[in-house]
Amino acid sequence: MASQEVLIIGGGIAGMQAALDLGNMGLKVHLVEKNPSIGGKMAQLDKTFPTNDCTI
Amino acid sequence: MDVGRHPNINLLAYSEVTEFSGEVGDFKVKVHSRPRYVDSSKCTACGACAEKCPTKVPNEFNFGLDQRKAIYKDYAQGIPSMFTIDPEYCKVMKGGKCGVCAKVCQAKAIDYEQQPTDLELNVGAIIVSTGYELFDATQIPEYGYGKLPNVISSLEMERLLSAGGPTKGHLSRPSVVHGEQRLKELPKLIKRAEKAEKLEEVAALQEETKRLEHQVHTYHTAKKLGFIQCVGSRDFRFHKYCSSYCCMHAIKEAIIAKEHERETESFVFYMDLRTVGKGFEEYKVRGADVSGLKYIRGRVAEITQDENLNPIVHYEDTEQRKVVSMKLDMVILANACSAPKGTTALANLLGVELEENNFVKTDPSNPLDTNIPGIFTCGCAQGPLDIPESVAQASSAAARAAETVLSGGRALAV
Repeated sequence: MASQEVLIIGGGIAGMQAALDLGNMGLKVHLVEKNPSIGGKMAQLDKTFPTNDCTI
Repeated sequence: MDVGRHPNINLLAYSEVTEFSGEVGDFKVKVHSRPRYVDSSKCTACGACAEKCPTKVPNEFNFGLDQRKAIYKDYAQGIPSMFTIDPEYCKVMKGGKCGVCAKVCQAKAIDYEQQPTDLELNVGAIIVSTGYELFDATQIPEYGYGKLPNVISSLEMERLLSAGGPTKGHLSRPSVVHGEQRLKELPKLIKRAEKAEKLEEVAALQEETKRLEHQVHTYHTAKKLGFIQCVGSRDFRFHKYCSSYCCMHAIKEAIIAKEHERETESFVFYMDLRTVGKGFEEYKVRGADVSGLKYIRGRVAEITQDENLNPIVHYEDTEQRKVVSMKLDMVILANACSAPKGTTALANLLGVELEENNFVKTDPSNPLDTNIPGIFTCGCAQGPLDIPESVAQASSAAARAAETVLSGGRALAV
């Protein structure tokens, strides 16, 4: 029986976005991150170009 | 934050993939979760443990610009919202006596005996989004990164600018941040030396105090900034490729620095300014017009420093045909976007091919597909990207993965 679950390796901005998209489609997602918190490099950024918005 | 709450997302942080087999529609994966020594079902992230923990360690999230405790959270809003004991530093983990965190934890969440867990998953598709790593600028010794205190990486600059960072957004020079930390320790060391009657040591420590006080007061805020582009990118000794986002990143940091401190003057040393993207070129022009950034075309050959720890950049201004030396308060390097060191091991495990720079290999006509059917990639794992592009790729990879699992893998056969 084919599985309908998806594994995502890496919980940075890309992994989180993919997880949310799949989760919102109703699919079961496993998001693996090696650090204690997700967010990746993006969590370390203060604001982002070109709008100078806050990232978190 | 939505990721942590989403009913369909099983978040496995502090974990890594250790075993892998199977094929599209039916992959078998083992995920190894390291013990946090804190019970995730009980921890309320109140922070009492970290407040009382007696062990201070350099905070790697802020590149050692401040300290965290041995029980910690990467950052306040971190998800999952819970604390973790760092076994490298915790006194109990090292076989010593302490147990303060267990005493103050009202939720009784501390568990020094917690064991790692392994979870076996059966999934239909996999997305590799392992991101990037900053290029290690110590490989370019002429820039003095790691030796000159006021030469920092672009991400260290982010932490300095962040209101939630080590300086609460004040643009203090790292030499001042470290100097202030040392000044806090010095009185204790002087007292200890006095008790032991080591007069020479006392004199040396007092001398150090005087020197640091002068440094901290005279050169507190960094007002004259130099941004050096293409550090490790477009450089045949290291990465031949362009890291794509650094030009915009430097301009952004310079604009924000100006917003924090009106007297800030910034110089961007570049080869080409590559501002490709929606609204990006306008942003560059705004940087010059509104924030007074000065763009200097020329590669910096070397960075030295004077006796007051001010970095001096030596460069050729190719527009003026002149070789110039300029004294600055702080230099920010635009470190290249490198593939993370763990990529090779993961790629070997999954059987995924990498390209010459160790990014995941993709085909221009199928930019999210790896060589293994059912395994996709997105974000900086496949090459340098900025945030909007990463997000766009992530949604595309999610669509590819959904297409795969919902069709039972048939979609890929077409």
